[in-house]
Amino acid sequence: MAKQMAFYFDARACTACKACQAACMDRANLAEEARWRRIVQYGGGSWVPVGNLMVPNHVFNYALSISCMHCENPICVTVCPSTALYKRAEDGIVLVDPNKCIGCRYCEWACPYGAPQFDQVTGVMSKCDFCQDLLASGQNPACVDACVMRCLDYGDLSELRAKYGDFNEIAPLPKSDLTGPSFVVTPHKNAEVSGFETGKIINLPEEV
Amino acid sequence: MNVSEWALILFTILGQMSVGAFLILGVVHFFAARKAGTEEADRLTDRALYAILPVMVLAFLASFLHLGHIANAPKAVTNLATSWLSREILFGVVFAVVAFLFAFLQWRKIGSFVVRSIVAVVAGLIGIGLVFSMSSVYMMETQPAWNTFFTPLQFSVTTLLLGALALGAAFVANYAYIKSKMPDCAEVQCELLRGIMRWIAIGSIVLLGVEFIAIPMYLALLASKGGEAADSASLMLNNFGVVFGFRLFLAFLGAGVFGLFISQSALNPGKEKLLSYFAYSAFVLVLAAEILGRFLFYATRVQIGV
Repeated sequence: MAKQMAFYFDARACTACKACQAACMDRANLAEEARWRRIVQYGGGSWVPVGNLMVPNHVFNYALSISCMHCENPICVTVCPSTALYKRAEDGIVLVDPNKCIGCRYCEWACPYGAPQFDQVTGVMSKCDFCQDLLASGQNPACVDACVMRCLDYGDLSELRAKYGDFNEIAPLPKSDLTGPSFVVTPHKNAEVSGFETGKIINLPEEV
Repeated sequence: MNVSEWALILFTILGQMSVGAFLILGVVHFFAARKAGTEEADRLTDRALYAILPVMVLAFLASFLHLGHIANAPKAVTNLATSWLSREILFGVVFAVVAFLFAFLQWRKIGSFVVRSIVAVVAGLIGIGLVFSMSSVYMMETQPAWNTFFTPLQFSVTTLLLGALALGAAFVANYAYIKSKMPDCAEVQCELLRGIMRWIAIGSIVLLGVEFIAIPMYLALLASKGGEAADSASLMLNNFGVVFGFRLFLAFLGAGVFGLFISQSALNPGKEKLLSYFAYSAFVLVLAAEILGRFLFYATRVQIGV
């Protein structure tokens, strides 16, 4: 099997501090609206009155650090009308060619991970490029190095799976058969499985 | 909802209206020619034909407003292998070119009737391909509200309904022109016009019925699917309930009530003035209804994932 670059995320340890997101925006010099990596906070449950007390009823909340999943079957590449989005053969990284992109934002509608981001300045899409320049010089992606809680790791997908298992269907992510995300996650203790959600994304709309 | 989505509303509505008008014009011409000869049929339909292309061009101009980087627009047809969006653009461009070719041949009366008919049939088939690819663009697994039977059905109904009523408006305008310029042929034209308008009215009422049966079925389907699909149904009925209700009301008024008025006033000669007011009103009301419907189509999508 050819090499496939992938991210690992430990949902047990993430505190949703957004250092990864900030490091990513800093490294890629992104405008405020364009976020290649985002923190998605997911929660649910309720409080029920018992006598004079309010008792938590399965109240939970956990965070996911989400970037492009560099999918096995990237739906963005399939739908892109101008072949601007492509999957690099040697390492499976999904990239966008700004010289081909027409800025129609169709990939935005297709991607269930919100990976392609519209750049208001250039009028074309931009997305996580796996810090390919840093990788080429032997360094880690900016998000991985920035994580205070050491939640993020990266590497070849098969190696990550050997190390951390192959679970990736954590709510609120969609089921993995849709696009085959190159992603491994260690679930939070209260994690829900994709397709069986009872909670909802609790970020403010402008945060994700 | 922003400028770029209004661009898509205009592009899809105007594109579908052009295709619908072109298809129905062909049918109208066929029957008019059988009844009153090719010359009278041409007189009835030619001016309406010339109006179709500017509408299609307007649709394309609107679609450009949707792009972030217009200079790269020609590259939009480079992924025909997998992208329905590429196919949509290609079908749109080819439809416009072949429809223009046909309009030009028809204008100059170049080539035999058979040759022109073949060009027209080819343009019509490409137009059907355009509406099909338009619906396929939206039928993605990650957009549950769009990935149902309703997208191609609604697009087809819009195509035929707006096409028919736009033609109705064009025909009454054309008749008024003919009556003022060429009074000697107005009688045959009047006879043809009344016959056609009756069929346009009946067709519109039937299409309205299809729409009114399909919409509740669609909402029930979304609700039964749960998840993001049910969220879309809830957006339609709760957040956008007023717009949704108004859209149904306008469609009912335009295609239903005014459709009935058209078919009644077309029964007897001498009511052409009234007929033309009804035809214009029906077109404007249904155009507004379909634009609101398309607005809701974009406004109520709920994407799966994060």
